Amino acid sequence: MRALLRAELLKQRSTRTAIALFAAMLGLVLLAVLLHGFGLPAEDLGSTDVQLMVFGRGEFLAVLFAALLGAMSITTEIRHGTIRSTFLVTPRRGRVVAAKVSVSILLGTGFGLAAGAVAAAAGAAALRARGIDVQLDQNDHVLMIVGSAAAAALWAAIGVGVGALVRNQVPTLIGICAWLLFVEGLLAGDITGGLGDIGRLLPGAAAAAISGQDPETLLAPAVGLALLASYAAATALAGALATSRRDVG
Amino acid sequence: MAKRVDERGVPVPPDDGARDPVVSVRMLTKRYGELVAVDDLTFSLHSGTVTGFLGPNGAGKTTTLRLLLGLAEPTAGEALVFGRRYLELDDPARRVGAVLESSDFHPGRSGRDHLLALAMAADIPSSRVEELLALVEIETAADRRVKTYSLGMRQRLGLAGALLGDPELLVLDEPANGLDPAGVHWLRRFLRRFAEEGRTVLVSSHMLAEASQTVDEVVIIDRGRLIANGRLEEITEGGRTLEDVFLGLTGGAS
Repeated sequence: MRALLRAELLKQRSTRTAIALFAAMLGLVLLAVLLHGFGLPAEDLGSTDVQLMVFGRGEFLAVLFAALLGAMSITTEIRHGTIRSTFLVTPRRGRVVAAKVSVSILLGTGFGLAAGAVAAAAGAAALRARGIDVQLDQNDHVLMIVGSAAAAALWAAIGVGVGALVRNQVPTLIGICAWLLFVEGLLAGDITGGLGDIGRLLPGAAAAAISGQDPETLLAPAVGLALLASYAAATALAGALATSRRDVG
Repeated sequence: MAKRVDERGVPVPPDDGARDPVVSVRMLTKRYGELVAVDDLTFSLHSGTVTGFLGPNGAGKTTTLRLLLGLAEPTAGEALVFGRRYLELDDPARRVGAVLESSDFHPGRSGRDHLLALAMAADIPSSRVEELLALVEIETAADRRVKTYSLGMRQRLGLAGALLGDPELLVLDEPANGLDPAGVHWLRRFLRRFAEEGRTVLVSSHMLAEASQTVDEVVIIDRGRLIANGRLEEITEGGRTLEDVFLGLTGGAS
């Protein structure tokens, strides 16, 4: 397994995909946090909940980009055909998926730590520039950054699982974006009032809960973590099983 | 042990009992819904030969190779390498090397990194990667991204990947596609030398004339079915070319 992990890490290091996703994520974190920090009315920004929401853009973008990175770790191999040589060297295909999940979790952790820290720093700078006090204490900050790391790590694993299930790269990436940016919001939104509490059980909401956002509505961080970990385990396992059983194109 | 003959009465090289045939395909069938891609196919390969796996496009050659290499599951029958299913080989990269597509690379990864990632997964030292880059004569391009490679360079990079584990069996699907005459010549000499070391090559091709210059044995299939199997000189005796044989057997000589 160690050999497989090293191979998967080299695959990530030897193309520009991971670094490009990382750079795009950090750029969007800065853009989102600074737009909110300078754009929202000062009286709104004074409240803890709004500050959590603004700083939480780091968590959200880390989750999105880590999921894309995880998905691409397998769909790119399918798209370019390198999956064939990968499986010729390691015919136990479930082990390949397991290695991809592990490496994606590692990189997703890095994405989450970086996005959480940059969001906190940029948010604090924007607030200070407008003379607004940062209401979040040290615990809030730790939860925000560590929670972002955990959320992004688990969503990276979900990405690998979804990629292994769907296989085709473009539908996989569109599906992940659509879910996180649109579908989950619809399901949890006012229109579906009937869904009630179900919205906070969705995987994107669970990810936000881990970093301590919107404590009135969302699950407690530890519960969100356990729930998201279950989603990640189930998706990764389904992806590994499907990959083991289905013919390789 | 009685002298073994195959279904056409051709003697099978004696097996010393301890050694399985390098490749053993028995009653292999693969269906995709209504389509029968491989239909009750049986043949075997023994070491030290170059076998041409021949037939028109769509005959089921690639599907058979994928079944042999564990990338697809047979509907019925079996395809064994060294007496086992590919998935059950302990160290597949050191037994079998294969190139199924000439374009199986990430365009943004260098040739060297492509080989290093495969070598790492198979626990093969990186010094072997350098040896192979030299063998297939792409050392000077090794750090360039594969998207800058010519088709011939990609073919050779693919071959290098297949040879990483110094395998006993080499399986190549249409390796001559897109190669220039010098490349074809290089490949032909390489495959001959490989077999002279007592190792085995299974090489598919739809180009019968080109194949007849390289192979010792032929397995010819059409529409998933075996239509001829044996030594090249037996199949082509009487001055017939492989093309004559093929068209005669498939009734395509109108």
